[in-house]
Amino acid sequence: MDTFQHLMAGLAAAMSLQNLTFALIGCILGTLIGVLPGLGPAAGTAILIPLTFQLDPTGALIMLSAIYYGAMYGGTITSVLINVPGEAASVVTCFDGHQMAKQGRGGTALGIAAIGSFIGGIVATIALIVVAPPLARFALSFGPPEFFALMLVGLCLVTGLAGRSLLAGLAMAVLGLLIAMVGIDPVRGAPRFTFGIPSLYDGVGFIPVVMGLFGVAEILLTVERPYREVIKTNLASLLPSREEWRRCVGAITRGTGIGFFLGLIPGVGAIIPTFVAYIVEKRISKTPERFGQGAIEGVAAPETANNAYANAAMIPLLTLGIPSSPTIAVLMGAFIVNGLTPGPFLFKERPDLVWAVIASFLLGNILLLILNLPLVGLWARLLRLPYQYVCVGTLLFCVIGAYSLQQNVFDIGVMIVCGIIGYGMRKIDLPIAPLVLGLILGPFLEKSLRTSLEMSAGDFSIFLTRPLCLGLLVISAVVLIASALNLAPPEVRKSDT
Amino acid sequence: MSRLLTTFLGAASMLLAASGSAVAQDYPTRPIQLMVAFPAGGSTDIAARIVGAIAEKALGQPITVVNKGGAGGQVGWTEMVRQKPDGYYIGFINLPATNTVILDPERKAIFTEKDFTPIINQVLDPGVIWVRADSPYKTVKDLLEAAKKSPGTIRAATTGILSDDHLAILMTEEAAPGVNFRLVHLEGGAAQFKEIMAGNIDVAFDNVGSIVNRVKSGEVRALAVTDDVRSKFLPDVPTMKELGYPTVISSSTRGIAGPKGMPAPVVAKLRDVLKKAMADPEHVKKLEDQGIAIKIMVGEEYDKYFADAHAKAKKYTEWAKNRPQK
Repeated sequence: MDTFQHLMAGLAAAMSLQNLTFALIGCILGTLIGVLPGLGPAAGTAILIPLTFQLDPTGALIMLSAIYYGAMYGGTITSVLINVPGEAASVVTCFDGHQMAKQGRGGTALGIAAIGSFIGGIVATIALIVVAPPLARFALSFGPPEFFALMLVGLCLVTGLAGRSLLAGLAMAVLGLLIAMVGIDPVRGAPRFTFGIPSLYDGVGFIPVVMGLFGVAEILLTVERPYREVIKTNLASLLPSREEWRRCVGAITRGTGIGFFLGLIPGVGAIIPTFVAYIVEKRISKTPERFGQGAIEGVAAPETANNAYANAAMIPLLTLGIPSSPTIAVLMGAFIVNGLTPGPFLFKERPDLVWAVIASFLLGNILLLILNLPLVGLWARLLRLPYQYVCVGTLLFCVIGAYSLQQNVFDIGVMIVCGIIGYGMRKIDLPIAPLVLGLILGPFLEKSLRTSLEMSAGDFSIFLTRPLCLGLLVISAVVLIASALNLAPPEVRKSDT
Repeated sequence: MSRLLTTFLGAASMLLAASGSAVAQDYPTRPIQLMVAFPAGGSTDIAARIVGAIAEKALGQPITVVNKGGAGGQVGWTEMVRQKPDGYYIGFINLPATNTVILDPERKAIFTEKDFTPIINQVLDPGVIWVRADSPYKTVKDLLEAAKKSPGTIRAATTGILSDDHLAILMTEEAAPGVNFRLVHLEGGAAQFKEIMAGNIDVAFDNVGSIVNRVKSGEVRALAVTDDVRSKFLPDVPTMKELGYPTVISSSTRGIAGPKGMPAPVVAKLRDVLKKAMADPEHVKKLEDQGIAIKIMVGEEYDKYFADAHAKAKKYTEWAKNRPQK
């Protein structure tokens, strides 16, 4: 079957009443997570994974993906209305979006953000449909040494780009890998670091760890923040004027391109594309002084970029099995919980599932446009919910979710301990992304390393004699050296989502 | 006084025994848990749900499949041997995987082969040696000659260390002196297929059930079945016995057992009900459609098979541990 037929079959599956309902629930929950300040997409996706246990894998993955990109839409609303980004990728939107709201043009800001997000999301998904199948076919020829090197590149990029200090990033990546080693040795079958506790035989669960590191930690941080007043702004006129449209066409086009290409590179994260898109618009604008004072391009470009990024970032996950950000790593965890390992083999063996999920991105973006344009007033009202109830409710949800993973109280403990660790890490400014990536890639990295060495009867030269593998290892080294020399621009280096 | 006590204790123990047997005769009075030591959706799980759904009708009580996956089955089996042997918690044992977990000192299993009450065997899936369709090895003879000529270079994939497929490779090396493979332990049939197709592995040892569809589609070639009779799913593929290696007999089995010390009437009841369920045409069809061979064994036959499997696993586990390249 060619791509078109697969896509049509996927669309048919995604449009079944059941899967469409899951996509809708995912979009609503995602928007909700975006709207609730403090709870980002990684946290939201992580704490909602247990909700999907009763579903079949296709439905579960459609819903979790919808939560992920839905949160990217929802974050805008708080940025505009209370000048607090609902998730980190909406920081840039605050600059001009909140100014627009103060000037009574809040509706237009939200409108252009939703439209830009829609265009960015749809175009990136179409590009994904074109790019993914040949990439997956190519990756099918990768052996264990190539996958080892590829995962190393991903891990090095995330480590090198996260945080201000390479040393801190490396330490966190190694910590993630170490935690991943707890449990039964994947090759020899001997228990490692289990201290005789049977609950540790299967390792420290990835889901409770990320629920803690993101969910619980972010709730703790939210509690510290003061309550912000919601701006009363005109939400009646959502559609921009003809003059505003003219300004935005270029911004949306460039935002889509920037978001898409940065989405292909592991480790970039969701914030960088928004910054880059904003800076590009400001640089090429004839009236750069309007930026920061309510320029509509300053909302359109980053919002488009962040959704184009969100959908493009699915490409390395679906075709190579490489998560490029912590949120995608959480999504990868959701695949694994459902017994599916994302990567070229899944693409080949379960095209029905992969294409249904991809097709659901198209439908989800349409659903989100509907949810965000006419219903934006409803979301704005949610912002008036008192924090204390939201926090306690979310925390309760986390505890139930962690328990429901395996009906094991141990997992609740893991989540709470990780919540405290995650809170502390944010307080002393340690990057969380490398830890999460190390944790999810650890078992695969170890398995491919050891399988490679079994293939070569213990000879390490197997990594140097295969050209593709060698090339990837050189890239990892270059990334780490560049990062040690502080070559990346500062906006790029401080992001961590 | 002491006589009184003795009488009292005697009476009490008789009473207890009587009530015990009454309980056994009423069995079952509540739902039964059927443990599967692998995650939901795997081949053991699917077959367990099929037989459970048929057997519960005859048993008059629901049979609930409980998945206790992890550590190659060790988590589930550890759970099972800790249960009360009253017939309300039974589970699948997978020979020889259960045996090798017991025998591998690195595993530190808390149970031994004596901690189980074997009830009935359900499936016997023979091993198969297979290569890519365009592989230079057309027959077992080609393969073994190559492995003899340049020892330690032919990359042979198992489905995990000390899996039945690993043991099958060791049996082959024993039966054909001078033959030496380079062992690569992959995590299962899907990984084997991917690496074989990408040319990273030369030959794979797996079970008929996981490869039969790919042989039919022409993607791979089965060289031999490690059994003494041909597989009904691969009737054109010779057995290792036919090819002159009668000691290379390896398969993966799945059967139902309980913790040790189950009352005989309970075992008998379960055995009869499960035997009927496994002979049910619905059960047979559903399993055979997937290329899985049913082999019902009960009583002494199954006890003997368990003991033989254990002895054989012991021999090759020790050998595997002493092999220079593991």
